[in-house]
Amino acid sequence: MTDIRVQYYAILREQAGIGRETVTTTAMSAAALYAELAERHGFTLPASLMKVAINGEFAAWSAPLSAGDEVVFIPPVAGG
Amino acid sequence: MSATFEFSTVALHPGEQTARVADPACGGFVSFEGWVREENEGQRVTGLEYEAYVDLAVREGQRIVAEAKARFGVRQVRCVHRVGALRLGELAVWVGVASPHRAEAFAACRYVIDEVKHRVPIWKKEHYASGDSGWVNCERCAQPSSAGDDGGQHAHEHRHEHRHRHEHEHPHDRGPVAPAVTAALPASDYGRQTLLPEVGSVGQARLRAARVLVVGAGGLGVPVLSYLAGAGIGVLGVMDHDTLSPSNLHRQTMYALADAGQSKALLATRHLRALNPDVDVRPYVQRATAASLGPLLVDYDVVVDCSDNFATTFAVHDAARAAGVDAVYASIYQYEGQLQVVRGRGAGSCLRCVWESVTPDGVVGNCAQSGVLGPVPGVLGSLQAMEILKLLLDLPGGLRDEVLLVDLLSLETRRIRAPRHAACTPACIRPGTPARQPDVERHFADLSAVLRAGLVLVDIREPEEIAASPSPVAALSLPMARLLDDPTLLPPDRDALLLCSRGIRSLGTATALRERGHARVWSLAGGLEAQRSAV
Repeated sequence: MTDIRVQYYAILREQAGIGRETVTTTAMSAAALYAELAERHGFTLPASLMKVAINGEFAAWSAPLSAGDEVVFIPPVAGG
Repeated sequence: MSATFEFSTVALHPGEQTARVADPACGGFVSFEGWVREENEGQRVTGLEYEAYVDLAVREGQRIVAEAKARFGVRQVRCVHRVGALRLGELAVWVGVASPHRAEAFAACRYVIDEVKHRVPIWKKEHYASGDSGWVNCERCAQPSSAGDDGGQHAHEHRHEHRHRHEHEHPHDRGPVAPAVTAALPASDYGRQTLLPEVGSVGQARLRAARVLVVGAGGLGVPVLSYLAGAGIGVLGVMDHDTLSPSNLHRQTMYALADAGQSKALLATRHLRALNPDVDVRPYVQRATAASLGPLLVDYDVVVDCSDNFATTFAVHDAARAAGVDAVYASIYQYEGQLQVVRGRGAGSCLRCVWESVTPDGVVGNCAQSGVLGPVPGVLGSLQAMEILKLLLDLPGGLRDEVLLVDLLSLETRRIRAPRHAACTPACIRPGTPARQPDVERHFADLSAVLRAGLVLVDIREPEEIAASPSPVAALSLPMARLLDDPTLLPPDRDALLLCSRGIRSLGTATALRERGHARVWSLAGGLEAQRSAV
């Protein structure tokens, strides 16, 4: 089990009802973490349409996670 | 040949003014004089004071005389307006036009005084015999033409009588020639920005030489356009196919309620030309597509994406990469925004290094679907304007190979590093990302014909939407997000026609699937609503 700091933007923030949280997880990758959180918060957006950043840099969904990582889920936004 | 607009702080003498437009090529001369009249709204006037917002007033006045010269083909146009204290009967405004023939001279003279009354910010304070006084705003006080107006000078004066009782038409008076003491004012003043050591006159010249195209004149576009026009950008293009809606006004602060229904590109153009006549503002009332942008971008250095949909954002990106111009992107959602700056040339990352394929519209909400507070696009648009000025002035700290995330509720910003994708090229042509397919949409007047044509009908709406309004013909249910997450859910080796309420989500989804290599996917044009209205 590792502690990961997670930050949500846009529709994810809206659906989670919070902007950030620290989660204790067994997920080994960004994709597995998102799947776990989507289940918990009822996220409707598939990971394939989003981006994930780990420690301030865009990363692949398969990227491994380490304790203390900061993970940001970034949906696309179009409003203008 | 000349066209001049000036303010004067001292008395005007018609003969001296006339001498300033003398031209041996001209056979006709027409002048108009506005005098301080003795009565207004039933009160006896003893004198008045004129005040002008001189910077803006001179720019607008110069614009008007230049327009008159160009529109009517006259050779000399001159307009001088008094500022300061004036006595009863004194000359307040003088317009003179000289031309080879009289008809153009009459028309141009009339045009100048009408437009000056309408557009130039001048206020007058009237002093009344009763001892009272009052300020009257002369700006925008012209009334629309009334029925039966014969267009003559007399009719004009009658029309304005209730507002401009201080004016009389007056036959041309050749008075004694006095020395010229008119206050000529600078056409532009960028002093507050050229004071900055990083800007100076060299920076101002760079801005003057710059050409920027802004795509979208909405919540983001309004601050971008306003700050760029104010900064004195040489050429400013405004592209927007849409008209103003009253629901735009809480965030699109350039417009007025009375403008509703008019073209935003044209409204913005009018506003920006009045803001800074130095700027060459070019309106484009059309949709932004890769095809429409491609030939235009040859004439620009920077393109700014202020659009409200993914299709346009990617069209801007593809055209900008092909043309090698810099691009500044922003988008907003409720209380948040994202910002990215992409250099047209060099080894930096681009929009598709972050978002490889076109995000389908309809998958996340826009302002109309999800709501937005007015200052959110105001802040993001202002950040875009700032980044553009950094690019043009070569200032430090600009966003580069990064995406800026802005949360205006928590007031937090984050810069996420966005390294260049290994497959990125200057034109950013990626394997598996073909150009947009023109034939994604298919039209069916009768849905039963879909099945006869051998297509599988796939309803991509949410289950609750389907329950509330079922498809009239049996369809496979695959909600949009699920389908995009796993396109193999589509029946193999069959042509699929995607269906939603209005044809927006289905078009976006079909386009996205095509980009990922699924060739046998189409979108039902107009969705179920088109089916219902056809019945």
